[in-house]
Amino acid sequence: MKTPVEVTVNKKKYKVEVDTRMILADMLREELRLTGTHIGCGTGNCGACTVVLNGETVKSCCIIAADANGQEITTIEGLSSSATELHPIQQAFVENQGLQCGYCTPGMVLSTLQLLKDNPNPTEDEIRHGISGNLCRCTGYQFIVQSIQDAAKRLSNGGQPGASQ
Amino acid sequence: MISEEFEFRAPTKLAEALSLLERYGDDAKILAGGMSLVPMMTLGLVRPKTVISFNHITDLNFVIDAKDVIRIGAMTRHDTVAHHDLIKKHLPLLATAAVGIGDVQVRHRGTIGGSLAHADPAADYPPVMLVAGAQFRIQSAKGDRMVKAAEFFTGLMQTAVGAGEVLSEIHVPKLPAGAGSAYLRLHRVEGSFPIVNAAAVIEKGFKSARVAIGGVGESAVMIDVTKHLSKGVSDQSLRAISDAAYDASGDAYGDLNGDTEYRRAMARVYAQRVIKAAAAQIR
Ligand SMILES: Cc1cc2nc3c(=O)[nH]c(=O)nc-3n(C[C@H](O)[C@H](O)[C@H](O)COP(=O)(O)OP(=O)(O)OC[C@H]3O[C@@H](n4cnc5c(N)ncnc54)[C@H](O)[C@@H]3O)c2cc1C
Ligand code: FES
Ligand code: FES
Repeated sequence: MKTPVEVTVNKKKYKVEVDTRMILADMLREELRLTGTHIGCGTGNCGACTVVLNGETVKSCCIIAADANGQEITTIEGLSSSATELHPIQQAFVENQGLQCGYCTPGMVLSTLQLLKDNPNPTEDEIRHGISGNLCRCTGYQFIVQSIQDAAKRLSNGGQPGASQ
Repeated sequence: MISEEFEFRAPTKLAEALSLLERYGDDAKILAGGMSLVPMMTLGLVRPKTVISFNHITDLNFVIDAKDVIRIGAMTRHDTVAHHDLIKKHLPLLATAAVGIGDVQVRHRGTIGGSLAHADPAADYPPVMLVAGAQFRIQSAKGDRMVKAAEFFTGLMQTAVGAGEVLSEIHVPKLPAGAGSAYLRLHRVEGSFPIVNAAAVIEKGFKSARVAIGGVGESAVMIDVTKHLSKGVSDQSLRAISDAAYDASGDAYGDLNGDTEYRRAMARVYAQRVIKAAAAQIR
């Protein structure tokens, strides 16, 4: 069975016919070829599939693609305009070794985006709560926490590295 | 990708959704946040013929002050329940329960109606609904009825919502003036379901006191502990409440997170802690 879906992804409008059985993560990867959204567990536990739906992070493996009709989505591809110019959060992850294999990274970066939007100057505890929906099997989280602390400083400093306040 | 074929419907009006529910009956599944339903479909555990999404029906997403009760639309997301001013003011224990559900992404999408209808035995909301004396509005194309929390949860993941019906609103009475309340959960790691959870409401002057415990039976159990607290909180009254919690959790199940005896022991601990915490809030 096919269902027509119209979505805005990373500010671009798409009109596609999807298999009704597709979850949103499948549609992003296979129909729109936005493979930055990863699928780890497919059951809502790991956060690798995190995307921003109407301004809020969600797990795209728990959303039926057809249900995203008419909605606005941001994926990891929508964060920076080019491959050479990274978003300050991405730059902070790179410079603080906030990733190893990179599988969890798109989800971690988008959860960081949400966290810093809600709370620009989080404590370490608040950071750990903010990324509790994202599992990482490589880093042991410490470098991710440091990346987020650095990202918070960069964002309050116009995207540049350096001390905040 | 879900393996089984199904028909997908996304009505924008409640009336339209109710007539679809009437037409499809048992073959249809309501889709709310999808945080439980979609993984179950992906795993092949649930294979509905038709999925009726309620995500495009905007008039089921509200929190309203209606005199003595707070009315909450079934499609209200956990994140809204956790941070809404009316809920924080009149039902602080409900906000506390919501803020601990899963993680940020789960709270952005999961709904209060979906969680209550799913009726997981250790879900965060049920003990709160029991002690607060909530009422549930259940609608269908043909009817509209109110069901008390104590009659809503009918068994393991079973509720009073029948085929063709939807849980549309939750009416939670505001706490009486001066009452103390608390909600506590025991969990292994951040983001996981409670193993055991407990909620309590104590009226000013210990006129009435209730505690409800989840994770210790097919659905949460409520105990009226007014008589134990007639002289306030003491070692003796806490011991009596602990014994009552142990007795009430005789149907506790065992799983990887804890066997029957562990859950019953935790029922003792959490009943006492939640009563102490609620008593400290009386003013
Ligand atoms: C990683 C993860 C962690 C979680 N942690 C917790 C936790 O700590 N505590 C907790 O309590 N929950 C937890 N949950 C469950 C979460 O709260 C779900 O949101 C909830 O169980 C189901 O709500 P939903 O809106 O997503 O419903 P759905 O998944 O869409 O639906 C669930 C069921 O209810 C039915 N249904 C939905 N809405 C209605 C309605 N209005 N009327 C009648 N039937 C309806 C559906 O047909 C389906 O059978 C977790 C989930 C995940 C994925
Ligand atoms: S793939 Fe969605 S949470 Fe793991
Ligand atoms: S970097 Fe490998 S899973 Fe996080």
